[in-house]
Amino acid sequence: MSALPRRIIKETQRLMAEPVPGISAVPDESNARYFHVIVTGPEDSPFEGGLFKLELFLPEDYPMSAPKVRFITKIYHPNIDKLGRICLDILKDKWSPALQIRTVLLSIQALLSAPNPDDPLANDVAELWKINESEAIRNAKEWTRKYAMEN
Amino acid sequence: MGNCLKGTSNEDISLLRGNESSSDNQHDVIQSPPYRERVPVYYPAPNDRRPANQLSEEEQIRIARRIGLMEHLPILAYDDSINKNKECVICMIEFKIGEEVRYLPCMHVYHVSCIDDWLMRSFTCPSCMEPVDAALLTSYDTN
Ligand SMILES: [Zn+2]
Ligand SMILES: [Zn+2]
Repeated sequence: MSALPRRIIKETQRLMAEPVPGISAVPDESNARYFHVIVTGPEDSPFEGGLFKLELFLPEDYPMSAPKVRFITKIYHPNIDKLGRICLDILKDKWSPALQIRTVLLSIQALLSAPNPDDPLANDVAELWKINESEAIRNAKEWTRKYAMEN
Repeated sequence: MGNCLKGTSNEDISLLRGNESSSDNQHDVIQSPPYRERVPVYYPAPNDRRPANQLSEEEQIRIARRIGLMEHLPILAYDDSINKNKECVICMIEFKIGEEVRYLPCMHVYHVSCIDDWLMRSFTCPSCMEPVDAALLTSYDTN
């Protein structure tokens, strides 16, 4: 393995010392660029009570390019597609190397509290979210119970 | 709106574990530079990485202009009485007094190699997101 940049070591240490409330991010034993992430569904959101698994990977040219993040747990959300890919500007064109793993995780948590159907990734979900929000929220709660609460 | 619908390739999918070609040789103690090609690689856009011989003429001109502008950004010795930032936000390594740092027009400072690497991808300040060339041009006007 080539040496890990100081920045990744520091970020990991700081994440361990001061974790983001409601989020756990643990580096993989065999790959320090790969993090196992669990996000708690925010209170007063349709995801409340759920535990959502994600994977986060720091590409070779991190922090010049953004971490790659994906939901592993199925989630009913207008900005997250079937494959778990997330529509979040800071993961794409708004990335800056001043952002960190911590900022990315906080932004994902915020996206769960405030879905944005006007910038959809999962088209049919966004469509329903716009025309019948209460039904969309019911679906999101249902999926949370079904996929994010097992055991 | 919908900026996520375009450009969503399946690139994101198999990305995670194990797709990095790890050339784990014992001599790799020092971090090898990320670019191994002989041909210099440029970023006409932040996520668009291409060797110099695959750039359009227009892109070459834009990149050359950017390199020209970057040379106008002052490099000065780090002075902890002026700069509040103790570490470079890009590499998270503390500045040493007297070390050369690059100043952006917004007065944010970075290690020269750290910020130059970023400016070749995006001509913005990582900390305040202010576009660098616009600020440079206004500072020329007022001087
Ligand atoms: Zn630096
Ligand atoms: Zn700035």
